[in-house]
Amino acid sequence: MLILTRKLGEKIQIGDDIRISFLEVRGKQVKVGVEAPGSVTVHREEVYRVIQDQNRNAALLNAGELPDMMDRLHRIVGGKKDAGEVGR
Amino acid sequence: MKITTSRFGTIDVDFSKVIEMKGPILGFERLRKFALIRHDSQSPFWWLQSAEDGTVAFVVVDPFMVKMDYEPVIGDDDIRLLEIASPADVLVLAIVTIRKEPFAATVNLRAPVIVHAAKRIAKQIVLETYPVQYALTETSPQAGTAVPRDSRQSGEGREAVSGR
Repeated sequence: MLILTRKLGEKIQIGDDIRISFLEVRGKQVKVGVEAPGSVTVHREEVYRVIQDQNRNAALLNAGELPDMMDRLHRIVGGKKDAGEVGR
Repeated sequence: MKITTSRFGTIDVDFSKVIEMKGPILGFERLRKFALIRHDSQSPFWWLQSAEDGTVAFVVVDPFMVKMDYEPVIGDDDIRLLEIASPADVLVLAIVTIRKEPFAATVNLRAPVIVHAAKRIAKQIVLETYPVQYALTETSPQAGTAVPRDSRQSGEGREAVSGR
């Protein structure tokens, strides 16, 4: 890991289009600014991990049971939504 | 283009209808192309099937069907990235986590997949609010009387999404 020391207001440039600014230090908290192109996703690491994990859980599906499961889910959601409709 | 999947066997997807991820499904950064497949013509659920890995598919749902007052805010950078010119361009999908007990299924409202339906480009964005695991059954009390939002779901069985 590259370790750098920076003063408040100084920046770190990563590649051509990512810039990190150090805006404020208060006790154990550091306020950091990130400038990056829209194609680069920037997240707090713990949020990123939670969403990665959730996505992985969502993708781990048991193929055999799925059609039935989908129909049951449809009844749960669609049944409520379509309560006033006919022809189901 | 033929995709061999573990769920649907080999499916033939019109390559022009494949959605390209401009930003990844987090945790699946290497997968950039997905087909959006309707579960069946009546269902609010769709499949987001990887075109590059037949074993990876997500069940997705229109989040507004699950939470009527859902208001995902798309940042300016993402609006530019996805070339969004008007709200009508946008299709919002929420990834469903299926669990053994169907009533335990949850919907990820924190990180919806934003799709430009006509251009077929998409990104999973992360919102500042909303839970990662929102109960699928926590529909709002008005859900039964609301105007159906499924006008685009009319038509024939399973098919890849086309632009509007």
